[in-house]
Amino acid sequence: MFGNWRFQRLPSAHPGVAFAARAAAVIAALVFTGVILAIAGANPIELAAEVIDSSFGSSFGLEDLALLFIPLILTGLAVTVAQQIGAWNIGAEGQFYLGAFSATAVGLFVPGPPALILVLMFFAGIIGGMLWILIPTLARAYANVNELITTLLLNFVAALLVYYVSTGPWRDRVGLANSATPRLSAEVPEFWGIVHWGLPVAVLVVIATAAVFTFSRWGYEVRLSGSNPSAAKYAGIPVRRHLITVMLLSGGIAGLAGMLEIAGTVHRLQGGISNNFGYLGIMVAVLARGSSIGVIFSAALMAFILNSGIILQTQGLTTSAVLAMTGLILFLTAIGDELSHYRITREKT
Amino acid sequence: MDLLTGLLTTAFLAGGVLALAAIGEVLAERVGVVNLGVEGLMAMGAVTGIATVAATPVPIFGFLAALVVGAVFGAIFAFATVIVRANQVLCGLALTLMGTGLASTIGRNYSGMPARASFEGVSIPLLDQIPILGRALFSQNILVYLIYIILPIGLSYLMFYTRHGLNLRAVGENPAAADAAGIRVTVIRFTYVTAGAALAAGAGAYLTLAFVPSWSDGVVAGRGWIAVALVIFAGYRPVAAALSGLLFGLITALGFVGQARGWPVASAILSMLPYLGTMAFIIVPVLAWHRMRRVLAAPAALAVPYYRDMR
Repeated sequence: MFGNWRFQRLPSAHPGVAFAARAAAVIAALVFTGVILAIAGANPIELAAEVIDSSFGSSFGLEDLALLFIPLILTGLAVTVAQQIGAWNIGAEGQFYLGAFSATAVGLFVPGPPALILVLMFFAGIIGGMLWILIPTLARAYANVNELITTLLLNFVAALLVYYVSTGPWRDRVGLANSATPRLSAEVPEFWGIVHWGLPVAVLVVIATAAVFTFSRWGYEVRLSGSNPSAAKYAGIPVRRHLITVMLLSGGIAGLAGMLEIAGTVHRLQGGISNNFGYLGIMVAVLARGSSIGVIFSAALMAFILNSGIILQTQGLTTSAVLAMTGLILFLTAIGDELSHYRITREKT
Repeated sequence: MDLLTGLLTTAFLAGGVLALAAIGEVLAERVGVVNLGVEGLMAMGAVTGIATVAATPVPIFGFLAALVVGAVFGAIFAFATVIVRANQVLCGLALTLMGTGLASTIGRNYSGMPARASFEGVSIPLLDQIPILGRALFSQNILVYLIYIILPIGLSYLMFYTRHGLNLRAVGENPAAADAAGIRVTVIRFTYVTAGAALAAGAGAYLTLAFVPSWSDGVVAGRGWIAVALVIFAGYRPVAAALSGLLFGLITALGFVGQARGWPVASAILSMLPYLGTMAFIIVPVLAWHRMRRVLAAPAALAVPYYRDMR
């Protein structure tokens, strides 16, 4: 009976099957977490009801969700952009820190009208992120050094740098807290409760990126270089130049996420400001499956999961538990991805 | 104790974490599987070690328990990457997130407490009389001898001087040819990935039972990633992996000396040294010695899943 079934591996998965596999991975991870919570003595149904009520039951919940949504859109997009050319930017976390760092430097030390400062912070954030990915980019482009590890190592350096300046030279000497910089005067204005204009900006960046990658000749060349570098080179496409541009773009987007977090949400630089947004961005990108527009939906999902973790902190759950669950989703997604390449057929005897 | 001996003693002790994890990663990468979950495995091993010792104050039990936990997680990872053949990068990142998250969740109960028992130094008679090196290497805890002497030499012999070693390297270089020659690719990959993961978790237990010795959230602090990078620097060789671990131990030791002597550099800046050093160590050699590339090259089938029945 078993012999009649044949497993056939297809070169690319059917999009519908791949989507179903992702959905199944997320649901399985949520159910698994629920079971663990039940074993630990909690009532998962009650917790889920509380999470849904706190997230969607009030405007405040939705606003909190939106504030997590903004950085996740951008870090997810940063990872997705690098993926277009076959690069792994695991350093969105570090570029986020540097975006926040550079924006804070401008906000603290450059005098001028707030509107002008805000514009300068915007560019400083992007440039900070780009500079932070510059060395991994050049090492990959000219020495073929794996960018995955180099971008990642710089995350730790960035975290230490931000920790150092916010507890050392830049710390708030007037306020009570000794572990953050003074509040920045230039702020991204809010348009809905506590939600600032960073949200439409992030969505616009996604749409613009998607349009460039889908409709421009440059975008086509980048995607070709990503899927088959030697063919692209043979066709006369400047693969190395595209690689450098795309990776810098990726770093810049992650830097922008850090800038918006500083200027829109937190308003002062402090250690741990990245809140794992860079690492969760990998998750967002993987769930979006290389689609820039898809990033918006998967970022919404991750924002909800992250927010659930924050809500459940009162129940003894921690953000690290959320990280573990994210890992589980990623793990099941990777397995589901591979399995969705198979077609099961039954041979007639 | 003079400065040099002190520096080397700390270097051996600190480098052991990286050396052990890097040796484990050499095993996995030699059979063609890149395991990016080392960071998470180390975190799990670290918390397992501390929790075990809290229950029974025998450090070796903590280390063994970490090996078992590492093997279990390694087998799950190997199932996903070797049998299902899912994307190794994604599975590795997932393992890092799971391990780190799970470890800090479990570790909250042990946070800040010193380990209830830790590995003590064992002096080896005669050998510890050797000037400088004798004191630095031969009065350490037993794991140090395991990490710097027994494992690298034993594994080098296994890899480069036995038939089995030839087989396992063949699996990493050309699994299709190995398969055709009758080598069981899946079994070898599964075994060594699992064993490598066990050593990574063991490195975590070494961290919390011999080096620090206590648990705090984020105690692993990227050492797993440094270990992954060291494997490249070491050219996928066990002895070189142990030595590059030692080199990084030396960098860490320099940071300690700097702090102890009150160098006018903030400790946060000194803490950046290992990461920046790792960056330099994987970028500079490639630029400097083009010819070394072939000698130190990665296994040809690294990160490439093997499908026997591709059609």
